[in-house]
Amino acid sequence: MGIIHLSTIGLLIDIFAAAILVTAVLIVSSRSLVFYIRLFALQSFFLGAVALLVVLGYGETHILIAAFLTIAVKAIALPMVLTRVIERIQVRKEIEFSINITASLLLCAGMVILSDSVAQSILSSQRGEAPAVSRVLSVSIAMMLIGLFIMMTRKKALTQIIGLLTMENGVFLSGLSITYGMPLIVEVGIFFDIMIAVLILGVFVFRINKTFETISIDSLRNLRH
Amino acid sequence: MLQPLNPVNRAVKNLGFMIALISSIAGCVLSLSILLSGEPLHVDVLQTRMFGTIAIHADRLSAFFLGTISFLAAVVSIYSLGYATEFLQRRNMVWLVFLYHAFLLSMAGVVMAGHTVLFLFVWEVMSLTTYFLINYDHEDPASRRAAFLYVVMTHIGTAFLVVMFMILYVYTGSFSFEAFTSAGPRLPAVAQSLIFLCATIGFGIKAGIIPFHIWLPEAHPAAPSNISALMSGVMIKTGIYGMVRVFFDFLGPEIPEWWGILILILAVTSSVLGVLYALMEHDLKRLLAFHSIENIGIILMGVGAALLFSSLGNKTLAAIALIAGLYHVLNHAMFKGLLFLGAGSVLHGTRSRNIEELGGLIKKMPWTSFFFLIGAVAISGLPPLNGFVSEWLTFQALLLGFHISDLAVKIAVPVTVALLALTGALAAACFVKAFGITFLGLPRSDHAEHAHESSPTMITAMGLLAMACVVFGVAPGLVVSALDPLASSLLGVNLSGQVALNGGMLLVPQSTSTSIAPPVLTALLMAIIVVPLLGGYLIGGKLRKRVAMTWACGLQKIGPQMQYTATGFSKPIRMIFSNIYRATHEIEISEETSPYFRASITYELKTESVFLKHLYEPVYNFIIVSARMVRRIQTGHVQSYLAYIFITLVLLLLFAR
Repeated sequence: MGIIHLSTIGLLIDIFAAAILVTAVLIVSSRSLVFYIRLFALQSFFLGAVALLVVLGYGETHILIAAFLTIAVKAIALPMVLTRVIERIQVRKEIEFSINITASLLLCAGMVILSDSVAQSILSSQRGEAPAVSRVLSVSIAMMLIGLFIMMTRKKALTQIIGLLTMENGVFLSGLSITYGMPLIVEVGIFFDIMIAVLILGVFVFRINKTFETISIDSLRNLRH
Repeated sequence: MLQPLNPVNRAVKNLGFMIALISSIAGCVLSLSILLSGEPLHVDVLQTRMFGTIAIHADRLSAFFLGTISFLAAVVSIYSLGYATEFLQRRNMVWLVFLYHAFLLSMAGVVMAGHTVLFLFVWEVMSLTTYFLINYDHEDPASRRAAFLYVVMTHIGTAFLVVMFMILYVYTGSFSFEAFTSAGPRLPAVAQSLIFLCATIGFGIKAGIIPFHIWLPEAHPAAPSNISALMSGVMIKTGIYGMVRVFFDFLGPEIPEWWGILILILAVTSSVLGVLYALMEHDLKRLLAFHSIENIGIILMGVGAALLFSSLGNKTLAAIALIAGLYHVLNHAMFKGLLFLGAGSVLHGTRSRNIEELGGLIKKMPWTSFFFLIGAVAISGLPPLNGFVSEWLTFQALLLGFHISDLAVKIAVPVTVALLALTGALAAACFVKAFGITFLGLPRSDHAEHAHESSPTMITAMGLLAMACVVFGVAPGLVVSALDPLASSLLGVNLSGQVALNGGMLLVPQSTSTSIAPPVLTALLMAIIVVPLLGGYLIGGKLRKRVAMTWACGLQKIGPQMQYTATGFSKPIRMIFSNIYRATHEIEISEETSPYFRASITYELKTESVFLKHLYEPVYNFIIVSARMVRRIQTGHVQSYLAYIFITLVLLLLFAR
């Protein structure tokens, strides 16, 4: 047992998980690239908080490093990099949508319901009382779907990165909820992966902008022939 | 592009081919030691958790093929020392030497592999190195097309081989060839037949049997001639090796009768159609390529007859037929290697492969002509050279099969014998054309006029192969006594009790009266030539010489263009087999002022390939049409690809719930 009572920790995890889901949905509802990045930073911060609560409540100290890495890399470093990219390419609004915002939000609601039912069926197959943290499984699946949905419906390359990062946050969260986080080496590997991916994608966005004078990935279609 | 006559390039060439020569000789020694001692070479290479112990395992069968490959490789390495000089100025030698070595190593690996994974690996290495070698003249669109066709066909073959090994794995639970050998005969009949069909198609594509041959006449001419010699001489034989390995070593000896019949049908089709198509070719290397198809057919007649006799329980005849087939493998490697090297020399000396543009080369290139003639006589199956011996053995094995009272045999054997005889005759006709038009007469073009003889290394190499053609023809006992234990290890019958090997000279199956003594035949042939000459001299006195103008239908001036052409020479055969060729010709005459004064006459002749039109084109069209349909979902939008993933994910989640 930690310093705080376990049920309190369960409650806090639920609150933070809900907040994470809200940030993901807010990204879908927004148009501003800067806002995307800030929402993502906030989301990562909440994620770090959930990881810290897992450390406190269940004594899984190996997540401590992962929690700090989450906050340092995802909540601080990556948003800074992405903000700089935006400043350099002078693009602020996502204006091209395959599906408009209202319909997107409705579909997101559908995805949340689907994820919840999937998570319930997974958890009900487990024996014994599930710990509070496993309840966030539904949130994590929903985040993966929403992240993919963002990548699918938005056309700016930068939004694609945000979608990818949202999916990655979902993967981290599902790891936390099912096994109290993956082994540290895996987590560190994923962090490194994400770091590099974002740096490279940042460069790509810049280059795409320079070559095609837009960062809409529609232009990549010209490469087909 | 390299500097002209870069010394490093030259050194790489010399060093590279010298090393290839030395390692090929080492291969010959290894092969001989296994053949003589009978002890298989077994080396464990790698322990793996998934596939078990990966090992090299070379028994007599491997050793025989290894010896054939190594001998030809050694000779071709000598040839390449001179031949590759022409690439010095425009090509990077490191690339050629690297591919050459990888090619030789992979062929040796294929016949020595004792494990599925190793086998498939070296098999693919062999396919890829030959792909790059065919594409060596990559500026030429025809080379690129040939290489592409080759790589597509060979991968279709590999797919069938993978399926075959999968079936073997499912039933034996092991990937090693030894396990296949011990468990193969006990497999269920359906599985055995599936394996047989996969092996026939998979190895058949590599061997170039009709109807899987379409890559072969394109690929052989495109590659440099030293490589063509190796490809035609030994690479396609790895397909034969695979078939013998699977049919006799893995699956035998209890086999259904239809296997042998099927192989015989393929063999007869390949040999007759191969030689018929060869007759219509005027490109020297394409002509030789079609002859490779023909000879693969002759080899397969031996293999097919061995399967047929083995399924009927007559192991002795099966052994004779198998020996005949394997003997022809060796012989074909020798004379086809020789002929391709000769074609390479002609190409080297004249820059032309079209025999209609050649002629009169016997005066400019006497050595090449002489050795080419030996190769031509050998491939035509005339005594006393080696081609005759193996074809005769095949005849003998088939004719002895007359005594078997089985309806299928009673039909199959006479048909095969008749068509083999036809093949031999047509091959002789074809080489009369090839040799006569290329080397005799007057030069038909400037290329031929200014031909020059090849370098000493190239001539030496051809001489070595010509010598081998003579030795294997005059002393068949050498080869048969080496092949006999090999056949007995596969079929369990030893011939030495039933076939006398009198002093390594005679092949006499004692049960019947048919026998053959090549040296005696040689003497007889010489006598046929010498006796009339001598008789004529004795009776008629001294030979009188009369120098006169050739009869020229009253024309005043006779030019090289009035000589008999290759097209004209093959016309009678084109008429007889017009159903197969479906030839169409176009004559275009351009007139000036009066029909009696014609500016030019163009004659164009086209023959059509039945297989391309009725087998490959429908399949090709179907693939293109279905690819177009699939292409509609390939929009090029990143978003739509993501949408596919998303939809799949959601559906999976819905179903997995």
